[in-house]
Amino acid sequence: MDKKQKKQSPPQPAFSKVLQKSSLSFLAMAPLLLGVIGLVGLFQVLVTPQMLASLFQGNPFLDTLIGTMSGAAAAGNPIVSYLIGGELLDQGISLYAVTAFLLSWVTLGFTQLPAEVAVFGGRFTLYRNILSFVFTMLIAVLTTLTMQVLS
Amino acid sequence: MKKEKKAFAFRGQYLLLFVVVLYGLMFFVDAQSAQLAMWKSGSVLRKILPIFAFVIFFTSLLNFFLKPKKITKHLGRESGIKGWLWALIAGVISHGPMYAWYPLIDDLRSHGMRDALIVVFFASRTIKIPLLPMMVDYFGLMFTVVLSVYILIGAIIQGMLLEISER
Repeated sequence: MDKKQKKQSPPQPAFSKVLQKSSLSFLAMAPLLLGVIGLVGLFQVLVTPQMLASLFQGNPFLDTLIGTMSGAAAAGNPIVSYLIGGELLDQGISLYAVTAFLLSWVTLGFTQLPAEVAVFGGRFTLYRNILSFVFTMLIAVLTTLTMQVLS
Repeated sequence: MKKEKKAFAFRGQYLLLFVVVLYGLMFFVDAQSAQLAMWKSGSVLRKILPIFAFVIFFTSLLNFFLKPKKITKHLGRESGIKGWLWALIAGVISHGPMYAWYPLIDDLRSHGMRDALIVVFFASRTIKIPLLPMMVDYFGLMFTVVLSVYILIGAIIQGMLLEISER
């Protein structure tokens, strides 16, 4: 009998209960997500592609830094970053800068920082963003150098 | 012993309030831009609603089929190479903006997912499978392949560096 009692595990909750619990957890985060979406809309209007393109100076090192920062400031679908990146290349902006811009568009984002801090904590957010910032620049340089060697 | 029940509490009310105030100020300064920003936000919300629905459903599936112990086994400290691979693959195939995945990752983290794998997941999200043909069209096949390889290697190194910093 003891053995039988030991083997008994807590009853599995119904899927509807689990779904309800997950929906509630998500609902709790709704103000955070709505805040970020609101910021994305504002940034899309205030930070225009023309404004971003005008920031580049023609200096590969400085442009890589500008590319990283402007990618982080921009918000929206990554397709837009490809369009702007293609335009920048046509304007003679270095591949270092354009690659950094494409990368930081997805991995870094000023608009999502408050939400990231609220969900994952300040320490994790700081570490992740510093790593992401450094690696964006590093990958941009390595990709461009590799492209130069291969072509 | 009585089990403690986690009380329901909203997160990010202050951020939302701050954004509402920003919009209010913008309506005074430039009502047309404020309206456009609201329309753009609405459009973003409409686009990511299906992703939110998927995240809720996927979180439920994980919680239903995987016990916290199992999640820890696959994504926790003892997950080994498999954990890194799971995080990489999940990052590459995940769709939509990064913040749409916060609830799921937060849930997995509370069940023992290690921070290094979260970093790997977010870093590998730069590769967007549906957008690869477009990237090839704009920047060439060679650039797309080279960049993707560096992104994957970079994601793993970032995760390792975070792990080292936590020791």
